[in-house]
Amino acid sequence: MTLAPDAARSTGASRSVRPRSWLGWAISTDHKRIGLLTMGTAVVLLFLMGILALLMRSQLAQPEQQVFSPDLYNQLFSIHGSGMIYMVMTPFAIGLGVYLVPLQVGAPAIAMPRTTLFGYWLYALGAVLMLTGFAMPTGAHADGWFSYPPMASSVYTPGNGTPLWIVGVFAATVGSLGMGWAVLWTALRKRARGMTMLRLPIFTWSMIASTLMVIGAFPSLLAALTLLAIGRVEPSVFDSNVWNIGYQHLFWFYGHPVVYVMFFPYLGAVGEVLAVFSRRRFFGYKGTVISLLVFAALSMSVWGHHMFATGQATNDYYSLTSIALLVPAGIEYFALVGTVLGGQLVFTTPMLFALAFIPQFLIGGLSGIMVGTPVIDYHVTDSYFVVAHLHYVLFAGSAFGLFAAVYFWWPKVTGFLLDERLGRVHFVLLVIGTNLTFLPMFWLGQFGMPRRVATYPEWAGFGALNLVSSIGAAFLAAGMIAFAMNIQVSFRRRPKAPADPWQGHSLEWATASPPPRYNFTPHLPLPPITSNAPLLDARTRQGQGRA
Amino acid sequence: MEQRRIFEQVFTTESAIAAFVFLVVLCALAYSLIRRRARAGATPSPHAERQRLETVYVVVLVGIAAFLVVYTASANDREHPGGESHAAGRGVEAAHPVTVDVTAFQWCWKFSHPAPGPSRAGEATTTANCRDGRLPTLVVPTGRTVRLKITSQDVIHSLWVPALRYKMDAFPDHTNSFTLKIDKEGKWIGRCAEFCGNRHHSMDFWLKAVSPDEYEEWVQQHQGAAPTPEAST
Ligand code: HEM
Ligand SMILES: [Cu+2]
Ligand SMILES: [Cu+2]
Repeated sequence: MTLAPDAARSTGASRSVRPRSWLGWAISTDHKRIGLLTMGTAVVLLFLMGILALLMRSQLAQPEQQVFSPDLYNQLFSIHGSGMIYMVMTPFAIGLGVYLVPLQVGAPAIAMPRTTLFGYWLYALGAVLMLTGFAMPTGAHADGWFSYPPMASSVYTPGNGTPLWIVGVFAATVGSLGMGWAVLWTALRKRARGMTMLRLPIFTWSMIASTLMVIGAFPSLLAALTLLAIGRVEPSVFDSNVWNIGYQHLFWFYGHPVVYVMFFPYLGAVGEVLAVFSRRRFFGYKGTVISLLVFAALSMSVWGHHMFATGQATNDYYSLTSIALLVPAGIEYFALVGTVLGGQLVFTTPMLFALAFIPQFLIGGLSGIMVGTPVIDYHVTDSYFVVAHLHYVLFAGSAFGLFAAVYFWWPKVTGFLLDERLGRVHFVLLVIGTNLTFLPMFWLGQFGMPRRVATYPEWAGFGALNLVSSIGAAFLAAGMIAFAMNIQVSFRRRPKAPADPWQGHSLEWATASPPPRYNFTPHLPLPPITSNAPLLDARTRQGQGRA
Repeated sequence: MEQRRIFEQVFTTESAIAAFVFLVVLCALAYSLIRRRARAGATPSPHAERQRLETVYVVVLVGIAAFLVVYTASANDREHPGGESHAAGRGVEAAHPVTVDVTAFQWCWKFSHPAPGPSRAGEATTTANCRDGRLPTLVVPTGRTVRLKITSQDVIHSLWVPALRYKMDAFPDHTNSFTLKIDKEGKWIGRCAEFCGNRHHSMDFWLKAVSPDEYEEWVQQHQGAAPTPEAST
């Protein structure tokens, strides 16, 4: 039995914090608790930001509606978009890494646990600050998730909403940076004996690539926010075009890589789910690892494709690097589809979400090549085409990966099972809702509907498609209610989950559900680490032994 | 309508490629869902890798990417023969375009047609306030190259004519320009595409193309006159 050296410490069960004390949660340096706090906070905010989206869809269902004033509508889309990106999809992705990476590499704890805990609290504080804007007399931040100056300067957007947004996003981003460092360091330095880099599970690899981008790109957002803060104190800064366009460069140098931070971990989760429920080893492991790293490196060179219409970017260059991304993306799809093609499929709820991820994310990716093409982008940028594109990537793709991850790891994390029937209801409603809501938006954009409009005139002829989209949103709301019920039922009935309910592949399934304080103990030892799927190897050996 | 032609061409090509890729993936998934079900008695493949196949596949991907890069860059260069921040329109006459200065502001547009010659005395200007359907009209002659010089008085806006399939941002302290050539008379809606505050959603204008003669007449009529908030729908 290989045992991580410091795993021996974990025998002292008395060292674990009392389970029922809230303080034990708030200040625990157990990576599992911090990970759960992060993911729990993100899921609560996912519901909240979803409600903001439903409010927007109610206003847009018909032309010339005034359920909300334009000013309030602007706050809704700004906080919805900022919340979903800074406070939901990014932190959840990193939180999943905080929880899983130490387990998957066979470590008893995360590297830098205090930094991780501090990171969580910065993130929570940031989310609260951003939302506090709604309590201000002038309302919350209303300039969108990228807040271009001079619009976001104190001249054109006075009030406290934007300063709160700046401080909140800054805090959350510093928090994500801290947590990202800890995850990366854990994967690189805390691996158990025998866990070579090429035996890391695909999810852990996706976290390595993501956290590399976090470290490379997030500081640029901090710089952009600092510039914005300076400009709010001294608005004449933004009289000069240099700083206006400079802000856009700083922002998108962060803004594009973050899209992949909100994609890779979910892709990694989907990869694990597909392999486990195809009852086989993840197909094309090495190619995927290389492609993740190439993808991460390339992602730092494409930011200008968000600025094709500014007349101030080198469009052919940014288009080249953007289109080149289809190579690593194509390799990842080869692996996902290949895994399924040679599998023996079992249709559990996490598998359903993972399967739907494949074609739905693909729509986001293919439309991404289009918006990466300047002569197409001039027309569709800042229109509903982009809203459709980004929701196919982030919702139809990443959020489906998020749900696959929740259903897959829930039994491990809580020790209880989720209900499969409610899970399927959630899934079906979400597939219908997602495509009804977001598919029509491609045509709305084509036909000339700009994004970020509080309403649209009757004569524009956008009414029918918008109505379809809003009806889709109702399906999404129903699906999310089924999800909430599922969680509630699981907590109430507490159906006991075994250590390995799914015949998993990676090390987290070798320990108890939920895992003990230091993950592996002499009673729950690390199995021999023979590949990226050690438990699958063990089962194969056993099968051969019996034969 | 060079922009529109190029857009339609490239958009159609890329949509066709996208549809093809989507169908291939969908077929692979459909096959797996039916034939690889555990209940259908499938056995999992022992292969963890198919390196030969993957190498060939990567070469194909690189080929597709290279094709798309060259194809789309050449389309972009055709659209902007004089470099990125201007152009579209060729020939001798492109050197003497009709120029219109576009100024965006919160929340409407001003269009100035400078008269030929150094002084701005003969300038014809139109504007409006974009309230209750009072939209300004950008009048241009058909068949001639028109250069729009776009700037802003306050925040960033973006001039978008969906029928042209083209937009360009209006920045304060900076002027962008692009040229267009419209071959038939008509009237199209234009809008602001960059979020600019509370009335961003109604910051629309009309683009109207008239015959060159009519255009001359229109300019003379509006010369020197104070900018009139023009009512039109
Ligand atoms: C993971 C889930 C989601 C993410 C990450 C996300 C992200 C975003 C982002 C980044 C924006 C742009 C905000 C801006 O322009 O500054 C946005 C806008 C919007 N989203 Fe979402 N969203 C999600 C879910 C949803 C859902 C479920 C709906 C519909 C029910 C929805 C409806 C909208 C609408 C209507 C807009 C406003 C478009 C506009 O006015 O331009 N979103 N979202
Ligand atoms: Cu505007
Ligand atoms: Cu605008």
